[in-house]
Amino acid sequence: MFEIGRLCVKIAGRDAGKKCVVIDVLDNNFVLIDGQTRRRKCNLRHLEPLDKIIILTKNASNDEVIRALKEESIECEEKKEAKHKQSQRPTKKKAVNKKLEEAKPKKVKTKEAKETKKENTETVEKAEKPETKKKSVKKEQKSVE
Amino acid sequence: MPAPRYRSRSLRRVFVRVPSGKSVLHYRKRKPSKPTCGSCGTILKGVPRERPFKMQNMPKTFKRPERPYGGVLCSKCTRVKIKAMTRQ
Ligand SMILES: [Zn+2]
Repeated sequence: MFEIGRLCVKIAGRDAGKKCVVIDVLDNNFVLIDGQTRRRKCNLRHLEPLDKIIILTKNASNDEVIRALKEESIECEEKKEAKHKQSQRPTKKKAVNKKLEEAKPKKVKTKEAKETKKENTETVEKAEKPETKKKSVKKEQKSVE
Repeated sequence: MPAPRYRSRSLRRVFVRVPSGKSVLHYRKRKPSKPTCGSCGTILKGVPRERPFKMQNMPKTFKRPERPYGGVLCSKCTRVKIKAMTRQ
């Protein structure tokens, strides 16, 4: 039933519903599988055999299995892309740093602008303060009355 | 006598150990019913029985088994379903 090259569907676990091929028979109960699933040891109880047998050598590599499955019009996700993404991470950080360096002189400009704004606000406050004093004076007068 | 609102059994009673060493009665809202399989009705495993505010703060992988139909069908029913789908 579960000879090398047998096409199966995984029934249990997070790979359930995905198709795979038996690569090696380890035991009465266990086989090695690869394909849409992860390459791993698997209990026969977790597999549902299909009627197709793919011609494969024992312990065939991942690339061979993917190629064989493509001929049967079963597409697999390529696992190498994930590794490339991990290697790209530091380059992204560098790019961010470059952006920050470029942004630094701009920040200085903004600081200057802020200082000028502060001065403006201070002048406004100075202008406003006497009014508030007047108000307080008026209040005092009212309280006196 | 407890306060009138605590006399009915709509709230569950929890004994809480206080820092001073005493055990004190606290009243808390009851937990929701256990989640069940959509096809056969058995109680699902790997799905916590908590109120929604606690479920919100839990990560997704804590809340259901990570397989197709996880948290909806039990493992036996998913096997039957996947087998039926492959045979079609
Ligand atoms: Zn069920």
